[in-house]
Amino acid sequence: MINFENELKKFRPSLEIEDAEEIIYNQDLDDMADVLVSLLKDAKAEESNRQMRSRS
Amino acid sequence: MKCYKCGAELTNREYCPNCGAGVKVYKRIIALSNRYYNEGLERAEVRNMSGAIESLHQSLKLNKSNIQARNLLGLVYYETGEVVAALSEWVISKNLKSEDNSADDYMDMVRNDPSRLEVFNQTIKKYNIALNYCHQDSLDMAVIQLKKVLSMNPGFVRAHLLLALLYLNNGNYAKAKTEAEKSLKLDTGNVMAARYLKETESMMLPQDLKAQEENKKSANDVVRYTRDNETIIQPVRQNVFTKSGSIWGIVLGVILGVAAANFLILPARIQKMNANYKTQISEISEESDSKSAKMGEYEQQISTLQTQIEELQNEINSYQGADTPASVGNNLMEAASLYLADQTNIEGIEEQLKDVDIDNLGDEASTQFMDLYNGLMTFVGADLSQRSYAVGYDAYRNGDYETAIPALIKAFQYDNTNVDALYNLGNSYYESGDTDNAKVIYDQVINDFEDTRSASSAETKLAEINNATD
Repeated sequence: MINFENELKKFRPSLEIEDAEEIIYNQDLDDMADVLVSLLKDAKAEESNRQMRSRS
Repeated sequence: MKCYKCGAELTNREYCPNCGAGVKVYKRIIALSNRYYNEGLERAEVRNMSGAIESLHQSLKLNKSNIQARNLLGLVYYETGEVVAALSEWVISKNLKSEDNSADDYMDMVRNDPSRLEVFNQTIKKYNIALNYCHQDSLDMAVIQLKKVLSMNPGFVRAHLLLALLYLNNGNYAKAKTEAEKSLKLDTGNVMAARYLKETESMMLPQDLKAQEENKKSANDVVRYTRDNETIIQPVRQNVFTKSGSIWGIVLGVILGVAAANFLILPARIQKMNANYKTQISEISEESDSKSAKMGEYEQQISTLQTQIEELQNEINSYQGADTPASVGNNLMEAASLYLADQTNIEGIEEQLKDVDIDNLGDEASTQFMDLYNGLMTFVGADLSQRSYAVGYDAYRNGDYETAIPALIKAFQYDNTNVDALYNLGNSYYESGDTDNAKVIYDQVINDFEDTRSASSAETKLAEINNATD
């Protein structure tokens, strides 16, 4: 048995043309490659921090 | 494929030829993105729009620069009525790859038809209004708005689904089922639509399901849609060749047309032609009749003319006989000549004068002719008269009146004092039955020869004739 209120919550307002610019600018475009790069960057930064701590 | 670090073109090796960065994992991510794109494409080809959106999102999450996946995602959004989402994807695609990008064509397609874009915008706004009505519990208003939305853009899947939900909520399961089915037709992989359909079928009674199936069969020939609170039922335009019976219908139509021409048009035309021919025939026959009449008239004229010719010919022939003035004159001259040559040749003179009839000549005889005739008669008239009288009297006595009458006439002509000849001429007429001429002759005897025996006898005969006629 479908619950009307719960089902209604699944419906979101459709995007209007006036909002298109905002939507485009605010869209999260990061992909797996970006995540990978940031991961590598983080790993490199963590490695350099560890080396600095061991020296000190 | 380009290096994620420096942007240089990558080779088959597992590191970048420019910066030396390891690209093994990166290459696997790109491959995975392409795999999701392929999956999205396959789903879109079977109109599984929800599945395609999911796959393409996955593809773009792995590789945001997968232009084909982004463009396809825009198309799928556009097809489900999400025009703004579609435009967003195409704009991003264009920004990521500015040249040789099919997103340009898609955006041009939308931009070149501003009225269509405006209609899409209106449908989106009305959908949002309807959704607000739902949240405000104005469900009837929401239904009205959604019907308007779907009349403007029947491919808007979300509007179909919301309408199906509203119908489900107010217990109108048949309509809810219809809307769910339409949603599934537009997006075969839409889980929400499938769920609503299952819900409506579970809520509907078996007889209602059967009735709806039958209605659907009959409704295949019409298109129903709602515009401004009015449900419009319009017959489906079908190509004549798409319907199996249409060809037979055409054949039947042709046969009926030919039959109608044979039984309705042709007889009328034949009748008209017959009437024309009859008119022509009657005209020709009338002409023929008139010509026949003319021919008859001409034949009659010919016969009349022929008769006239014959009469004239007879007249000519009669003139060619003895009694013409010229021949009569010649005979008289011949007779006079014979007398001068031999006064005793009475027979020859009689022969020449045989055809000279003074009574018939009348006014045609000239004075000189009459003088010569009378002069000759002075000498030979008595003798000639006696000869003719003797012949006529003998014939009279013998009852030969045809001989007697001309002979006695000649005898009286030769000598007009020969009363016996005149009286016996009357007797001859009387005895032959010609009482009219007999009366004339008897009158002449009585008047010209009074106090003679012949005159008294003539009076007696005349009295007999008069008594007999009385």
